[in-house]
Amino acid sequence: MSDRPARAIKLNVINEPKDSYTGGKSTLCPGCGHDQISSVIINAAWENGIDPTKIAKMSGIGCSSKTPAYYLGQSHGFNTVHGRMPSVTTGAYTINKDLLYLGVSGDGDSASIGIGQLIHAIRRNMDMVYIVENNGVYGLTKGQYSATADIGSKKKKGAPNEQQPIDLAALAINLGCTFVARSFSGSKKQLTSLLKAAMSHKGFALIDVISPCVTFNNNDGSLKSYQYVKENEITLHMTDYIDNRQPMEEIEVPEGHFRDITLHDGSTIRLETISEDHDPSDAMAALTALHNAEQGKKHVTGLLYFNSDKPSLAEDLNLPDSPLLDTPADVMRPSKASLDEINAAFLA
Amino acid sequence: MHHPKLRRNQGLQGEINRTQRQHVQRVVSYPVDINEMRITTRINLKGKNEMGKVVNDFTINIATANGTGSQSANLILLQSIFDMGINISGKNLFPSNISGLPTWYILRISDNGYQAPGDLTNIQVLVNKDTWEADLGSVEPGTVVIWNSDAKMAMDREDVISYPVPMTKMARTLNPKLAKLVTNIIYVGVLAEMLGIEQSALESAVEKQFSGKASAIELNTKALSLGRDYAKDELEKQDEFVLEARVRDQKQFFIEGNEAAALGAIYGGVQLLAWYPITPSSSLAEGIINWIPKLRRDDDGSDNCAVVQAEDELAAAGMIIGAGWAGGRAMTATSGPGISLMQEFIGLAYFAEVPCVFWDVCRVGPSTGLPTRTQQSDLQMLYEGSHGDTQHIVLIPGTVEECFEFGWKAFDISEQFQTPVFGLSDLDLGMNRWATTGFEYPDEDMNRGKTIRDKDLFEAMEDFGRYKDVDGDGVPYRTLPGSGMAPILYRGTGHDKYGVYSEKPHIYHDLMERLKRKINGTRDHLPAPIIREEPECEIGVIYFGSMENSIQEIDDIVESKGYKMSQLRVRALPLHNDVEEFVRQHKHVIVMEINRDAQLWGILRKELPDDLVSRVSSVAYSDGMPPSGSKFADLILAKLQEVSQ
Repeated sequence: MSDRPARAIKLNVINEPKDSYTGGKSTLCPGCGHDQISSVIINAAWENGIDPTKIAKMSGIGCSSKTPAYYLGQSHGFNTVHGRMPSVTTGAYTINKDLLYLGVSGDGDSASIGIGQLIHAIRRNMDMVYIVENNGVYGLTKGQYSATADIGSKKKKGAPNEQQPIDLAALAINLGCTFVARSFSGSKKQLTSLLKAAMSHKGFALIDVISPCVTFNNNDGSLKSYQYVKENEITLHMTDYIDNRQPMEEIEVPEGHFRDITLHDGSTIRLETISEDHDPSDAMAALTALHNAEQGKKHVTGLLYFNSDKPSLAEDLNLPDSPLLDTPADVMRPSKASLDEINAAFLA
Repeated sequence: MHHPKLRRNQGLQGEINRTQRQHVQRVVSYPVDINEMRITTRINLKGKNEMGKVVNDFTINIATANGTGSQSANLILLQSIFDMGINISGKNLFPSNISGLPTWYILRISDNGYQAPGDLTNIQVLVNKDTWEADLGSVEPGTVVIWNSDAKMAMDREDVISYPVPMTKMARTLNPKLAKLVTNIIYVGVLAEMLGIEQSALESAVEKQFSGKASAIELNTKALSLGRDYAKDELEKQDEFVLEARVRDQKQFFIEGNEAAALGAIYGGVQLLAWYPITPSSSLAEGIINWIPKLRRDDDGSDNCAVVQAEDELAAAGMIIGAGWAGGRAMTATSGPGISLMQEFIGLAYFAEVPCVFWDVCRVGPSTGLPTRTQQSDLQMLYEGSHGDTQHIVLIPGTVEECFEFGWKAFDISEQFQTPVFGLSDLDLGMNRWATTGFEYPDEDMNRGKTIRDKDLFEAMEDFGRYKDVDGDGVPYRTLPGSGMAPILYRGTGHDKYGVYSEKPHIYHDLMERLKRKINGTRDHLPAPIIREEPECEIGVIYFGSMENSIQEIDDIVESKGYKMSQLRVRALPLHNDVEEFVRQHKHVIVMEINRDAQLWGILRKELPDDLVSRVSSVAYSDGMPPSGSKFADLILAKLQEVSQ
């Protein structure tokens, strides 16, 4: 074996090995859905050829929010306070809008304490990817129901949940969010395509990922267990991400009906119809799909809604082309002559 | 002849600026002949002149209703008297309401430069029916009462000097639709005639107030003439109050503290303003917004300062922390209730060591409190904000010049020490107009702190750690997101020198000790206290913030009782070492502040050496009103009695 040539390390388009995208060792429970999502993040960023030093990892508090330590070790990040990652991200974005802001949050973080900040980040069309690692329970505090627990769902201990859940995808669509998807941590291919598309999107991209909690909510009777989601997932379409480096004419055309959606950076997300056609530009269709799934105790996944027309926050704020971080000192501080003029005008 | 150690309001700004530059000012005081004292706490300080006139030394109280345009009228009055070179201060006592509730405007005219509201109203203007009886009932005999005789309200005081004016009827003749607004201008015209306000000063004040709006200028100028003519023709002057023009050494203008702080922030290179509207700080944020097009707009029309109106104060705090983390200069403006909401984030910024600037324009608490009244009650909350052990830098301006100066300096200090910096103003300083000769351009370059922006510099550093105390001053080095240098995951959890999560006892303990050392190390880098010292070093008074506007009067009253009182105005927390020295040099020191719980006194007692603690006593008082000079002087005198026994 020793005379065999060393296997070449596979590099992405910017000549980085996958190792450049990995992070520390996870301290979550073995089998946690969140770890699967972390590996999807690593793959998607690597395959998309994004410079890892130009990514900012953002999170709040909770199991999900610990995960930025487990991926993208070359990226700076901020593990902020509970539910308030969107505001910290907004502030960072105003100063350096050239980074890819990759937010990871949980259902406690996003649907309860941080729901206000989530709503307003959507309203501003903040340019970021926002992943909700949604398992219906609070993990770090040992298994209390969260606001996304489904009616009738039962966690490992205690009575079934009877309260109406907050569907973050439906909420986002109602708020005019420009990219809304739902996925499942067990559907690696779909999640990777959706995440890559979200990274190519300019504006707020929400991906609500059902990510089972193996310790507190993976039992019989839970509507967010691996087994249950696997058996009750309705996939809206097959999703393929075609990056902007590949000429479209070289891509094989599928046999059945499909839709191609062009993203802001010129990449494409291809949605192949499985049974019924879903039009992601139709908010009512998306809400109907969500409503029907909820009625049938199902989970609908795929790209629910997409809108590329809305201006993102940078345009709203009238920011210059280059990030404010690069503003020279003599522009940040107006001249002495300008202050002399102001004093003189006041004295006049 | 009594001579105060430093007269601070006549040709005042030059003196104040000088004082700031050489912060310890030892002023020789002249011997006092107590028998010659004219000053008591309950009469006008100057009294009548030989002609039986009281010149430039009286208080006017104008009672109107909110939302009737009275603010414009009152500002015209203020500006026109100011433009005659006369020292005047205006206090707007307004309700938390848009329309209909009572408002009072108090004008203190004083050649001595006293700016606190006077103890007595000398001239009462009655327009508001709702407060008519109470306002009329509260004036002393002999007070001048100018009242709207169309208000159908009783004028049943025989012991006052009564000037009835049919304000509403006159206003209707000019413009029936706008009669309510015009009514207020009529009393300005009456006062102008009765007190001797120059017509030219009046007209230029109208133009300033309604700049560019020709129809408003015309209407108001007519209304002023109506009032003036009525007074000339129908009223016989029976009172003794007159205005005489003065000549100032230097030209001055009026500006609100909030506007000055906003301009300061613009010159401090603010790149993100994230804010949530709250009285009395909104005008600070709006001041920044208004200056951006002129001062921070690039040639291509884009703005190099972003403004985000946040969904709440929590988000505003989060945004400025995010911006500081990304390497920018960011601030928010709020008041006490907003700071309460921001507490969690304040702790994050302290612990993760992120620069960011908060302005707190203090109003009356607790809770919603009195939203439109003034107080100095957020000091302790700012100094030790958030849960756990924390300590923060607080800059405390006492003048509009300092609002400007600390407005830009806050960013330098915050970046230098990688920690949140608070500006503490209050409603009185922030929302009332104060005289200044102008603002001084920053005398030092922006200090961006130990932020490594250069790869060569970074590579020269061995074994970089975000939280390593390389220089022994407790201030570590940092790199920025996007730089590719030393990536770390910032966190509010315990962390080691490399920013990695740790629960190890010695690591946590060392981190907390370093943070304490870092903040303690700022003491003598922050704005030093202003000291005005009597050679006798008998009594000292320590105060802060907007109390600066009342200290001269307080000092004059206390010294009229035969005491010698040195003054120290604290301008930053943590306390400068000069403060301890001042206490050491004086036999007895009183800490004076506008709150109930003696917050600065509490901080001093905690931080002074044990042997000095007993020398320091407290005078703390607040009723929501701007501080009355005589009230605080009385409290000081009572305290001196108490401690001498």
